[in-house]
Amino acid sequence: MFYIIGGVAVLSALIMVTNKKPVSAAMSLIVTMLCLSGMYVILDAHLIAALQIIVYAGAIMVLFLFVIMLLNIQEKEGRLSGHKIFLQFAWIMLVGYVFISMVKLIGGDSLPARVEGSINGFGTTKAVGEILFTDFLLPFEIASILLLAAIVGAVILAKAKVD
Amino acid sequence: MSYKSNYIVGSIPLDKLKPKKVRKNIELTLWERLYIPEIVRGMYITTRHFIINMIGFVFPPEGKKRKIFTVYYPEEKLTIHVAYRGRPVLVQREDGKEKCVACGLCERICPALAISIVGGERENKERYPVTYTLDMSRCVYCGLCEEVCPHEAIVMSDEYIGLAEYDRKNMIYPKEKLLVPVARLKNRIEYVREIYGKANYMD
Amino acid sequence: MIADLIEAIAKILFVFGVNMGFFAPILGWVERKQSAVMQDRVGANRADIFGFTLIGLLHPLSDTIKLITKEDFIPAGANKLFHTLAPFISLTPALITFAVVPFGGQYEIFGRRINLVVADLDVGILFVFAFASLATYGTVLAGWSSNNNWSFLGGLRAAAQMLSYEVAMGLSIIGIIMVYGSLKLTEIGAMQTDFFKWGIFLQPIGFILFLTCAIAENKRAPFDIPEAETEIVAGYFTEYSSMKFIMFWMGEFLEMVTISGIITTLFLGAWHLPFISDERLLSLFGFAGPNGSIIMLMMANIATFFGKIIFMIWFQMTIRWTLPRFRYDQIMKLGWKIMLPISLINIFITGLVVLLK
Repeated sequence: MFYIIGGVAVLSALIMVTNKKPVSAAMSLIVTMLCLSGMYVILDAHLIAALQIIVYAGAIMVLFLFVIMLLNIQEKEGRLSGHKIFLQFAWIMLVGYVFISMVKLIGGDSLPARVEGSINGFGTTKAVGEILFTDFLLPFEIASILLLAAIVGAVILAKAKVD
Repeated sequence: MSYKSNYIVGSIPLDKLKPKKVRKNIELTLWERLYIPEIVRGMYITTRHFIINMIGFVFPPEGKKRKIFTVYYPEEKLTIHVAYRGRPVLVQREDGKEKCVACGLCERICPALAISIVGGERENKERYPVTYTLDMSRCVYCGLCEEVCPHEAIVMSDEYIGLAEYDRKNMIYPKEKLLVPVARLKNRIEYVREIYGKANYMD
Repeated sequence: MIADLIEAIAKILFVFGVNMGFFAPILGWVERKQSAVMQDRVGANRADIFGFTLIGLLHPLSDTIKLITKEDFIPAGANKLFHTLAPFISLTPALITFAVVPFGGQYEIFGRRINLVVADLDVGILFVFAFASLATYGTVLAGWSSNNNWSFLGGLRAAAQMLSYEVAMGLSIIGIIMVYGSLKLTEIGAMQTDFFKWGIFLQPIGFILFLTCAIAENKRAPFDIPEAETEIVAGYFTEYSSMKFIMFWMGEFLEMVTISGIITTLFLGAWHLPFISDERLLSLFGFAGPNGSIIMLMMANIATFFGKIIFMIWFQMTIRWTLPRFRYDQIMKLGWKIMLPISLINIFITGLVVLLK
């Protein structure tokens, strides 16, 4: 199951990067988001899966599509040259290699494997809420303040243009 | 039917035509701004109609005037007001001859060029149309021919059924198809005299 | 194991059959006939088989035959893939979301616990929102891929409107979640046994907000600017014909059924009858033996639930045929400047009350 969803996710992500039509790229990004939420479901994290769909696939990508349509971005003519594709692949490989080595550096070989039904009530709304508002309260609040600052900044930017 | 001159078109008596008071300030009151009471009011009206009509459907009221005014068209037909301009027809006199004298005024005024007349003379020096062709595929039912006719020979009838055809050739009406006995057109002729002021010089 | 499978399949078939077999075809007729009755008209009554018109009930059948046999038209310059995909995207969420709506409680028949819901998810209501938000893509893609200015405008309007009202809808539901303390629709439904514990009495403002947002999400009048006939032909589905047109149509009606189901579960006491508790009903059905009485109770609860759904559909249709359409700026103003603050205030007050109790 993981390999199917993961394969679809990687494939749609690749389509999203290489596709020249903006709307098609956005749609394949949505497919990637849905696959990610499917992975969360496999990991028993139903709440995160639902939030993933609501926030990313449901709200942010609609805004993306809206902006793409509103600006009416035309697809550019011509295909990528082989040279450029090679360069892109080289970059992806490099970044992937750096990422994997970083994970190994931090966690070593002891990445936690998934244990079947080990934690009772893992991934439920209650569990996530409890962890979020006890152990991770400070990061949560910092993130919310950051988002608030971003909202205020966006409003100010938008207002300056109107006036 | 007779038509009194204190009626204007639309048959509203003149003394009842009073200007309604229009609310000029479009500023809504707080109660209207709340919006929900107004929605409830509107829904109360529609729901009342719904319930009354549902009861009317299940137990049709006996003898009462019905609430639903839909006319089941092919089975029921409205009585048509005399002012209705249906198919133009030629008036046929009591002796079976056409009233038309082939003066050509209708042919000249017709904005759609639907009428074509070939005039002739009878033995008693009376003019009559040898052919009178009305192209119903061009006619716009404006009624100008009726207005201009000095002899009340062409009037708009109340016929509106069967005017559509699959073939344009069938829509060219010869004189025989247009003639209608004068007895059936009495109301309309009287009405035409009234509205166009023809009563002043008609016998 | 096999019994579980049979139970699951039976539940899926029941929900699917009721939605696709009963509601989807008949709501078109209901819409026409109810609007007619409300406006002192007669409504559709001419389609007949051997002279039997059945008060116009054969019109959905004739409509279906007509639309299926029509040409499936794809305009020149349209994006064929998305043009074909869009109706499916808009129909599927409406069908899937009904999976988490419970249409009855939990019963023990012949030693088996039967939970009358297709999928009793822990996230419950969030699942509904997740798939309702995906329904936006059907509309937006339909508008974009048709290569038609009217469709495009409809798609843009739909995107802006649905996005705006999703926010207010999500916030309007938080009050009821706080009151009942659960995201599971089955638990929320099971808690509303007492008539005065129904969500509509505990959260009247939440009810109005949710109903308004739900109608706006469903793009029905008075929020039907994405398909405003008088302005932009038929909006996002101007260029659709044949089966794909039916799919948009069905998607709209099924969404209406789903909205009614969710409102019934959250605010109208789910499958409970007012003033008559399940124990009372059980004792009334006592003559049929222990299993028989439970089956009868189950039937009564399902009937109650669908009765409430039908009432909510009637209510939505009454709103649709009573109110005129909003202007675009009015919709945006209502969504962001009125609904959002009111729902936030509602959350605040609810939180205070829950905390102090």
